[in-house]
Amino acid sequence: MAFFGDLMAITTPKGYIDIYYFNYMTVIIGIFAVSTAASLLVKDEEEGRLDLLLAHPISRSGFFWGRLLGYVVTTLLILSVGWLSWWIPSRSTGLDLTGIELLRPFLPLLVQLLLFGFLGLLLSMILPSVRMAGMFTGALLIANYLLIGLSNINEDLKPIMNYTPLKYYQGGNAIDGLNWEWLAMLLGVTVLFVLLAWWRFHRRDIRVGGEGGWRIPMLPTRKGREASS
Amino acid sequence: MAEELAIKITDLWKAYGNVQALRGVNLDVKKGEIFGFLGPNGAGKTTTIRCMLDLIRPQQGSIEILNLDPQKDPVAVRSHVGYLPGELNMETNLTVEGQLRYYKDLRSNKIDWHYVHQLADRFELELRLKIKNLSKGNKQKVGVLQALMSRPQLLLLDEPTAGLDPLMQQEVYRLLREAQAEGATVFFSSHIIDEVETLAERVAIIRDGVIVEEAEPGHLANLEIRNVRVRFLEPVDVDALGRVEGVSLVSKADGNSVNLQVEGEMDRLIKALAAFPVADLEIDHPSLEEIFLAYYEAQD
Repeated sequence: MAFFGDLMAITTPKGYIDIYYFNYMTVIIGIFAVSTAASLLVKDEEEGRLDLLLAHPISRSGFFWGRLLGYVVTTLLILSVGWLSWWIPSRSTGLDLTGIELLRPFLPLLVQLLLFGFLGLLLSMILPSVRMAGMFTGALLIANYLLIGLSNINEDLKPIMNYTPLKYYQGGNAIDGLNWEWLAMLLGVTVLFVLLAWWRFHRRDIRVGGEGGWRIPMLPTRKGREASS
Repeated sequence: MAEELAIKITDLWKAYGNVQALRGVNLDVKKGEIFGFLGPNGAGKTTTIRCMLDLIRPQQGSIEILNLDPQKDPVAVRSHVGYLPGELNMETNLTVEGQLRYYKDLRSNKIDWHYVHQLADRFELELRLKIKNLSKGNKQKVGVLQALMSRPQLLLLDEPTAGLDPLMQQEVYRLLREAQAEGATVFFSSHIIDEVETLAERVAIIRDGVIVEEAEPGHLANLEIRNVRVRFLEPVDVDALGRVEGVSLVSKADGNSVNLQVEGEMDRLIKALAAFPVADLEIDHPSLEEIFLAYYEAQD
C-alpha cells in the first residue's frame, strides 16, 4: 500500500481526493491526452488529408496553432467537467472545501496533461507514425507513474525521480496551495516541446499519405551532394 | 512585350533521402493557357506540383507562381490556386456539403455558394451524401468541384479525370475550358493521350525528374507507337520483320506468332507482312506511359 504514498491522509478531504482522483487521473486522462495530441496533425497526414487542407490559403503556423488551441480548449473542458463533478456534490456532502480549493489541483493536472500531450505531438513529428509516437509517450507516462509509486518503497529510486515530470505533480496536495516554481518549470518544458514541434512541422515536407520514415534530419548523402552540385 | 507567366520554374531539384525526384526542372507556363504535364509514374509530376504549393521544399531552384514565391508567401499563392491532389482523401464522416463548407471556411468564406450548387448540378453530385458512401468517381467529382469552386487564377490538377466516366470527363473538359475563358491558367497532369490532345495547348514531358520535351500536343502523334501481334498460318522466319523501318521485334511468342512494336505509320509493316501467310493481326494502342517509355528507351 506504500506504493500509493501516505495512506493515512485518506482520512482528510485532501488525501481522499488525491488518492481517489488526482493520483489516477494523470494516467487515465493522460493516455487519452497523449493519443489525441500525437494524432493532432500527423493523423490527417497519414490518412492523406493534410495535403489538400494545406493547399488552401492557410499557413502551416496558422494550422498548427489552430489545432493546438483546439486541443488545449478540449482538455480544459474535460477538466472543467471533472471539477464540476467534485464541486456540485461537495456542497451537499459536507466536503469542507471551497470551489477555488477544489480547482487548484486541476491546474497541475492540466500542466501534466499538456506536457505529456505535447511530448506526444513532438514525437509524432519525428517518429515514423502516430501510433508509435502515442505508444512511446504513453509508455513513458505509465513508466513514470509506476516509478513514482515504486520510489515510495525503494529509496534508491528517489534521485532518479527528480528528472521525471510526475515528481513535480502536486495532485490533491495543491488544495492547500500551488507550487508555482514547479508549475513554471513544467510549463517551460511544455512550451519547449510545443516550439520544437512547431519548428519541425513548419520546416518539413508534407507526405501524400501513409506512415513515414524516421524524420530526424540527416546529413546529406554523397548522392544528394552530387545531385545538388 | 514578353508574355506573362503563370508558372516559372527554374532549375528545380528535389530529393527524398537518397532518391533524386527532380533534377533541374525548368518550366514556363503562360497565363491563360491549358498546359498538360506528362510522364510515367515516378517521373516527378506530383513532386513538381507539390513544390509549387510549398507542401514540399526543394533543395535547389526557384518557383514563381503568378509572380509570387510559394516558399516566401505560400498563403498568397494558395489563395489564387485551386488544387486537386492525385491521391484524394477527405473526411469520410462528413457529407459532401459539410466537406465543401469546410474548404470554404479555409478560404475565409470567399466562395459563391450558388456557383458550388451549379457545379454540383453539372456533376450530378448529391451534396447531402456522406463522403464514405461515395464511389471513387463521385469522390473525384468532389475533388474537381472543390478545386474549381473558388474560381482560382490557376488550377493545379493531378490526374483530374481519374475514375470519371467518359461523360463526366467531357464535363470536366468543358469546365476547364470555361475557366480558361474566364482567364484562369490550367496545369494538369495526365496519362490519357486523348485527354492531352483534346485539352492541352502545350505539353511538357517529364522523365526521371527532368523535362525532356516541351511540345504542342500535335507533336505527340509523331511519338505514336502500336503493339502488333501477328499470328501466321505456318512457322515463318520473322527476323525480316524486325528489319523493317520503325518496327522492332519484341518477342516471338511461339513458332507461329510474333509481337512487334511499330513507331509511326503502319504502311511499311503491312506491306512487309504481305509476303507472309498471315492468319490474324491484332493492333493495340499502348498507354501514353508505354509510348513514353518506349520512346525514351529508344532515345537512350
